[in-house]
Amino acid sequence: MAETGLKKKGILAELYGIFFSKSWPMWVGGILLGVGNILLFLVLKPWGASGGIYVWGANLFNSVFGTGFGFKGGPLPPVGMFPYSIICFLLLLGAMGAALMAKQFAFRFPPVGELLKGLIGGVIMGIGAVVGKSCTLGGFFSGMAALSMGAVVFTIGLGIGTWIAVKYLIFEITKFPKVSSGKTASLLGAGKGKGSWQPYVGALVLIWGLVIAFKYTDSSSVRAWYAAIGLFFGFVCQRSRFCLVRALREPFTSGDSKPAVGAIAGILVAMFGFTVIKFMGIRGDMLWVWPHFWLPAIIGGIIFGVGMTISGGCIVGSLWRAGEGHIKLYFALIGAALTMPFATKYIAAPLYAALPASMQTKVFLPNYVGYGASVGIFVLFLLVWYYLVKWNERTGKFSAY
Amino acid sequence: MQGDQILDCKGLSCPMPIMKLAIAMKKLDTGKVIELLGTDPGSKEDVPAWCDRTGNSLLEVVEEDDGFTFFIRKE
Repeated sequence: MAETGLKKKGILAELYGIFFSKSWPMWVGGILLGVGNILLFLVLKPWGASGGIYVWGANLFNSVFGTGFGFKGGPLPPVGMFPYSIICFLLLLGAMGAALMAKQFAFRFPPVGELLKGLIGGVIMGIGAVVGKSCTLGGFFSGMAALSMGAVVFTIGLGIGTWIAVKYLIFEITKFPKVSSGKTASLLGAGKGKGSWQPYVGALVLIWGLVIAFKYTDSSSVRAWYAAIGLFFGFVCQRSRFCLVRALREPFTSGDSKPAVGAIAGILVAMFGFTVIKFMGIRGDMLWVWPHFWLPAIIGGIIFGVGMTISGGCIVGSLWRAGEGHIKLYFALIGAALTMPFATKYIAAPLYAALPASMQTKVFLPNYVGYGASVGIFVLFLLVWYYLVKWNERTGKFSAY
Repeated sequence: MQGDQILDCKGLSCPMPIMKLAIAMKKLDTGKVIELLGTDPGSKEDVPAWCDRTGNSLLEVVEEDDGFTFFIRKE
């Protein structure tokens, strides 16, 4: 018998390889996140992120400085009780577990200029999120799936903001390369022959996340499921490197269409699920249709788009990259969390008070043209978007390089 | 292997390594090699994909203690 010289892998090693040796295709990530989003809606409501971060920041200020921040006209929920704060924390944990399992975890300290960009990007995102009443989830990934026209406007805003900030980044790298260079450090990383401990710690982190989810079953099954699905979201985001910033940014930079295709896949899957849930009256049909059509949606979208492109991650993108150990994205999260309570009170509240009612409406497309036509219109929109990013990838028409 | 120009992208996260690479490559003469040092796990897939799309050659990827070094020749 011929000797192949190759040692056959064990069954568990092979299974480990399937999950952790390479990143998953982004469209696989998109589909899994779309399915998770449907499950979340069945448990309570669709996926969102900025509300959770607001509650983090507002709780911090209330407990340290005694500020009286509330939440959406009511009392402020504690971090550990609010489903969307829970989901944010578990998402970070899931991503950290996944990164460790794949031996990709390290605390990565970028140059100081990058940390500042993370913080400033986060502050800008925080302002955009409260002005536009949503982030890349509520106003884009979940909002489109909810057939909200405000989400379409917000997404267009995100695209414009991204385009502006890409121009800035190119200017910065060309004229001020020092901003993104300087002393850096990497801690606890894996590499040539080191970090073999990471997968074991990763497994413990994931088990810890599951224990947290299980503990919530004592008080609330909704919170328990939010925790479990959050952990799953973080895991999927890290393994597929799913990124809504890249979905919007790459057409203007490298031309890579994969992130956009991932986002389209996720929106499409969630849209069918959300439509069934709403059509059948399982949950309210106006859920995730925000009162931001059209002016706040476009302004908020542009601001948020600028912020997320400067920091290099939207709220969710920052959460999972923070889980992977990028210190810049912790700064982005801190920037957003610290800004949102104040921006809500001092920017969004006066803005909405001054705007006429016709500029801050909820527009749920099925109320105008029925469910069938609405889904058709949104699918067509996604198809056009798909065609444009693929065409651009081939021609480089809108790409910087 | 040694590059003609070193591009230190250690500690940087997406999109900085690829953007810096693309901008540095514009200024580089054809046939010259950039040595990109990076620690972002995303670069492991993004750099080869970018080279593929732009027609530049990824000559070698070396795994380091804390990341990777990519050798990319401008074509």
